[in-house]
Amino acid sequence: MELFWLEHKRLWKRKSTQISVLLCLIYVVVFGSILSYQWFTFGSSTGYNSFRNRFDGYASIRACQQYAGQFGGVLTDEALQEMVRDYQSITDRDDMDEMNKTDRYKVPSWVSQLYPELNHPQDYRLEISYVEPEKLTGFYERRQKILEDFLAISDQTGEEREYLLKMNEKVEQPFRYQWTEGWNVILGSNLPELGMVMTLFLTISLAPVFAGEWHDRTGPLLLTTKNGWKEAARAKICSGLALAVEIFGLILVGGVGSQLFFLGTEGWDMPIQMIKLIAVAPMNMLQAEIFGYVFVFLGVIGYAGLVMLLSSCAKSTFAALLLGLSAVYLPLAVSEYLPFWAQKALDLLPLVGSPADIFRTNTFCIFGKYVWSPYLLIIVPVLLGLGCVPFAVRRWARRMRR
Amino acid sequence: MELSLDRLSKHYGSKIAVDQVSAVLGPGVYGLLGANGAGKTTLMRMLCGILEPTAGEVLFDGKSIAEMGAGYRNVLGYLPQDFGYYPGDSAEEFLMYLSALKGIPRHIAKGRVKELLEVVDLSACASKKLKTFSGGMKQRIGIAQALLNKPEVMILDEPTAGLDPRERVRFRNLISDYGENKIVILSTHIVSDIEAIADEVLLMKKGSFVQKGTVSELIDKARGKVWELTVPSSQAHSWQKKATVANLRHEGEDVVLRIISDHKPDEGAIRAEASLEDLYLYYFPAEKGV
Repeated sequence: MELFWLEHKRLWKRKSTQISVLLCLIYVVVFGSILSYQWFTFGSSTGYNSFRNRFDGYASIRACQQYAGQFGGVLTDEALQEMVRDYQSITDRDDMDEMNKTDRYKVPSWVSQLYPELNHPQDYRLEISYVEPEKLTGFYERRQKILEDFLAISDQTGEEREYLLKMNEKVEQPFRYQWTEGWNVILGSNLPELGMVMTLFLTISLAPVFAGEWHDRTGPLLLTTKNGWKEAARAKICSGLALAVEIFGLILVGGVGSQLFFLGTEGWDMPIQMIKLIAVAPMNMLQAEIFGYVFVFLGVIGYAGLVMLLSSCAKSTFAALLLGLSAVYLPLAVSEYLPFWAQKALDLLPLVGSPADIFRTNTFCIFGKYVWSPYLLIIVPVLLGLGCVPFAVRRWARRMRR
Repeated sequence: MELSLDRLSKHYGSKIAVDQVSAVLGPGVYGLLGANGAGKTTLMRMLCGILEPTAGEVLFDGKSIAEMGAGYRNVLGYLPQDFGYYPGDSAEEFLMYLSALKGIPRHIAKGRVKELLEVVDLSACASKKLKTFSGGMKQRIGIAQALLNKPEVMILDEPTAGLDPRERVRFRNLISDYGENKIVILSTHIVSDIEAIADEVLLMKKGSFVQKGTVSELIDKARGKVWELTVPSSQAHSWQKKATVANLRHEGEDVVLRIISDHKPDEGAIRAEASLEDLYLYYFPAEKGV
């Protein structure tokens, strides 16, 4: 235990660790949360770009939540029609301040997705602006249809289709509606980007765990002590994992704290279908957020194991850093040029996949059985990463003896 | 307490670094003397259990050190030649870390670290980072870490490299005291260090011990092979070419040469008192200017 604390202290004492953790916090908590909520995502729009938004996100969010509250509760055809009518009256008045309060991304997307036959291709405006509200009927039947159509287009047939539709049956209907945009930003943008951002800062912090040891030429000393390299390796691995957990913890506290302050808890029990209609997962927003953080947490643990393996293989910290970054950014960069099955396989690498897969209908077929992709995306990366640990220790031990 | 080297060999491909070395070492200070590449470091690494011998074994109190594992490492103190450290650690942190590696409980380690920092005269720098230390200070930290667990067997590879004369004397006294009831093996090029503290000298050449014995026994072996010859300055260069010259001292127009040779090198040469350095030069004639 003593060795673990000393190793852990040494890791935290590194300038590179301190700077990367600080930058990570600044990026994720200050820019990604606080400034994003107060300014460039939820600050009221002046009509130009988001950086010219007003610095009034807190008040603006309250206004949006209050506005959506008028239509809040069970989402029926009538409630949707009411929302559309109100939207149209605001656009008719060209009232920018009122427009800022509407759920102006998700509600228009429902109308265009569910009622394509009401779309006027020649009209440059959003469909919601001119559609006749009373024609917006059969919300849930239409949702079911577009889901089935989507599965057909995606060539998801037979057992896979049945599997996904069965999952969809568990989605509670009718949906509960409240303001969606806050949850959309958290689940659709902040959480999926979190892993990618943490990759950079985790690599900087963990690359020297073993590679630095090579540089410091401490092998002969470690090899001739009673506890020897095995205890040292165990302490290094544990302190590396602890550091990864602590960085994640700081981000979690900062992210969730600012979310609670700015957005509150309103809408936590809405189904995720309010963000993506054809999602089949029977989850509400809170469950999805917990899934997202667990996904990132396990990805971080898995990635920490992988970086420590690379650190044990590389002779210099810089090489370990490059290898670590390549392990995530390279698959992300080449993924789109690969066949779909290869993309899905790459998603199983730590921090390469995305927690946003809960909104998708991706599956893995394992020995003829279909498994919803998020189940594997959450488990496999951490297993891969932890599987790297014994190899890291073995590799390091071999190098110590040279 | 006994450390036995039983026909110890280490081969790197066709190169033989250590060749069938045998010795039985009891408590005392052993000086391992040899030229670069003689196999000293390889031998020391095998004695520490870092390198596996190609043949033979090392026994501590009759037990193989390979089988003893942590039990042997618990009684071992080692200062490697290429002494690595954590530059960002303070002297105290570094020693506390190594104490933890050596399995010394924290409450004991704290006192031991303090005590050893005083012994190596670094108490005032306990909280300074090692990267700010001079070569001599780092070497003293290396010596302190080797002593942390009060080892029964202490192996020191070039321990006095980088130390100034005062520090060397301090170190020699420390080792001399320590070697009274422990086994201390030290390797160095600085013959005077060995001459001052070694109870026994092991002279190593091409992977084997060519001479073993106390300092006086070895000096005896050099007796009759050391000559002093006074020649004009102009001849000094040619003598250096044709003989092993241990020393060269100017005296007015002439030069007094100290020559190592089995035979009287010149009619004018007179016998001189031998030293361990002379013996070293006798065996390693290419290693002049020690």
